[in-house]
Amino acid sequence: MDENPGLSDQYRKASPWPIFIALGLPVSEIGLVFDIFPLAVGGLLLFCGCIAGILLESNYAKTLWGPVLTMIAILVAFGAALLVADGYTEIGLVTRAYAVFASAIIMSAGLVAGKLFVPKQQASV
Amino acid sequence: MEINAQIALTVFMGVLLVAVAAWLTRIEDWRSYSSTAGGVVSQGERSEYIEQEKPAGLIRWLTTVDHKDIGILYGIYGLTAFAVGGLMVVLMRVELATPSTTLVGPALYNSLMTSHGITMLFLFGTPIIAAFSNYLIPLIIGADDMAFPRINAIAFWLLPPSALMIWAGFFAGPLGLGFEAPQTAWTLYTPLSTGSAGGSLDPAGGAGIDLMLLGLHLSGVAATMGAINFIATIFTQRDENVTWANLDIFSWTILTQSGLILFAFPLLGSALLMLLADRNFGTSFFLADGGNLLWQHLFWFFGHPEVYILVLPMMGIVSYVLPRFAGRKLFGFKFVVYSTLAIGVLSFGVWAHHMFATGMDPRLRASFMAVSMAIAIPSAVKTFNWITTLWNGRIRLTTPMLFCIGFVSNFIIGGVTGVFLASIPVDLVLHDTYYVVGHFHYIVMGAIAFAGFAGIYYWFPLVTGRMYQATLGKAHFWLSFIGTNITFFAMILLGYGGMPRRYATYLPQFTSLNVIATVGAMILFVGQIIFVWNLVNSWYAGKRVESGDPWDLKRDGVHTVEWQWFDRKIETAITDGGEEEQNAVTDGGEPIDKSENN
Ligand code: HEM
Ligand SMILES: [Cu+2]
Repeated sequence: MDENPGLSDQYRKASPWPIFIALGLPVSEIGLVFDIFPLAVGGLLLFCGCIAGILLESNYAKTLWGPVLTMIAILVAFGAALLVADGYTEIGLVTRAYAVFASAIIMSAGLVAGKLFVPKQQASV
Repeated sequence: MEINAQIALTVFMGVLLVAVAAWLTRIEDWRSYSSTAGGVVSQGERSEYIEQEKPAGLIRWLTTVDHKDIGILYGIYGLTAFAVGGLMVVLMRVELATPSTTLVGPALYNSLMTSHGITMLFLFGTPIIAAFSNYLIPLIIGADDMAFPRINAIAFWLLPPSALMIWAGFFAGPLGLGFEAPQTAWTLYTPLSTGSAGGSLDPAGGAGIDLMLLGLHLSGVAATMGAINFIATIFTQRDENVTWANLDIFSWTILTQSGLILFAFPLLGSALLMLLADRNFGTSFFLADGGNLLWQHLFWFFGHPEVYILVLPMMGIVSYVLPRFAGRKLFGFKFVVYSTLAIGVLSFGVWAHHMFATGMDPRLRASFMAVSMAIAIPSAVKTFNWITTLWNGRIRLTTPMLFCIGFVSNFIIGGVTGVFLASIPVDLVLHDTYYVVGHFHYIVMGAIAFAGFAGIYYWFPLVTGRMYQATLGKAHFWLSFIGTNITFFAMILLGYGGMPRRYATYLPQFTSLNVIATVGAMILFVGQIIFVWNLVNSWYAGKRVESGDPWDLKRDGVHTVEWQWFDRKIETAITDGGEEEQNAVTDGGEPIDKSENN
């Protein structure tokens, strides 16, 4: 049995990811709306990381790299959009943009670490 | 924010993330060794197999993607929210027993009122329907599970954070976080909700409003995910012998409801984000000229379909359960389906009947009046069909049946008062009075909640394998029925007298009717305490159901799919146990409880 059983294998009745996705979304929203840096970064990591995880688990993705790279790309684009938007409003969006970049950077670091240290075929976050 | 708090939060988030990651890796291990049962299993073994596919204890409930478990979670969640919203309104009604403020000040009253409305509509109404649909639809249409079981779990788990955010203002004061519970009413009308002082400093709740907007948005995301899932499930996961022609009425209503959600909730979500941006990010969607009317249009374009999102599946439950205790099939099945679809379409054309008094264009207003009158027709078609189903039927007044009949009765009063409100001249007099409160409570409490109770009692044996106490169930019904009618009829009269809604105080001339309404609410309250006690107690210690047909449905040839499934389940359990006589289960229909099966 491989480590990442999913819908295409015999279907299972439990998955650890949904509850963390559902936690990551509100935490990152609160962090971004109220400009609370640690909550924004932590929430985004939880949310994006677990989405990558669930995609892998349900065999929508074969490896972790694809989803994580996509997440990083989306985060970078979102952060850039915030920086641009900052020019059009009196509200400071820069720290929020940095929070988004920070989570992108941490995810990239995780990606590199995974590439270097995790043996092939072993899925972990 | 202070540096110390920042550091503390950072450390906290770091620890949390590491803990989550560690736990997830452990889960992965647990998965790889618990998976020995792998391979395809035949139908017969499936139920046992599924048990092995879940971890034990609390972890099972946190990680489950089984539609039945998720249905139970939704049910517990919805009933908890019902209790919270109910306690809020008990406080309000006690305050309203006297004309002046005594127990609850105006600010707290407004907060309670806001949270009561939102809690009942978004945290009780929508989830309790999802409880029934998650548990039952896959069983009824012969699907293995929902089309997207993981999305299903995500949709549920979004709801607890959503509730905490909606109620956050109540904890923030005592915790010294510097904001209050929102006082905007569930309609969040601008300019009140945009905040006069700008940003998060406004007197109507400050950051409490922002959190509530986020929480509502989250519950909308959850509802939309659920709706997509139901549409996909009903379209693609049906068993071969379940066709569109013989699809049951409950699935039809859930399908229609999901369609409504798909169009209504994303719009609410966008409007909420626009409001949030107005409050926090310097936009001015609702601050410019006409912004206030724009908000009302956006809100009610969602808001009116929302009431049908709540009532259609409940009508489905009544159409499903009521014929079972009349010994017949639902009269005019096709027309009930057609009127469901008609209501679904028409409900997007009536929203401005909530805005007759805003000074909108009178010609537009008249068209909304016409459509609002028209939507009463399919509702009446359904009502006639229920009554005709009862006509000359072999009626058994079990608790679920009592609640179904109560539903029909209250729905008629709620619907008729609604038609009056849909008439512009009448509405201009009654708008924003207690008449409106009476009208929609006849529907939301008298009909929607009643159908929910009917469903809970009817399927209680199916879900728990035990029977509730029939006497308590009947006490619950009568207290609820009498309480509802006393409370909300008094409100209708108060509205005729001209008492405005949404105030903590009132003129002394309204005292006696208000006292009557409060007494009615207390009767309701006692009924709900009995209900909770009955549920909890019977779940743990109720009499075990030994027959696969606790409602004696076989006699009338209406032993529906979900009960056949239950029948098989019980049979397997008993064969395994090897104690009981086989025929004790197969002949079915032996009364569990004499008073429930006469
Ligand atoms: C029989 C068809 C119905 C008609 C013609 C109707 C008509 C109306 C009208 C015109 C109003 C606005 C009154 C005002 O603010 O002045 C209203 C309010 C309301 N109705 Fe109905 N209604 C009907 C059925 C329903 C149903 C089935 C529900 C619930 C499921 C419902 C829930 C509400 C609610 C919640 C309000 C109050 C909104 C607010 O102002 O806060 N109505 N109804
Ligand atoms: Cu309406």
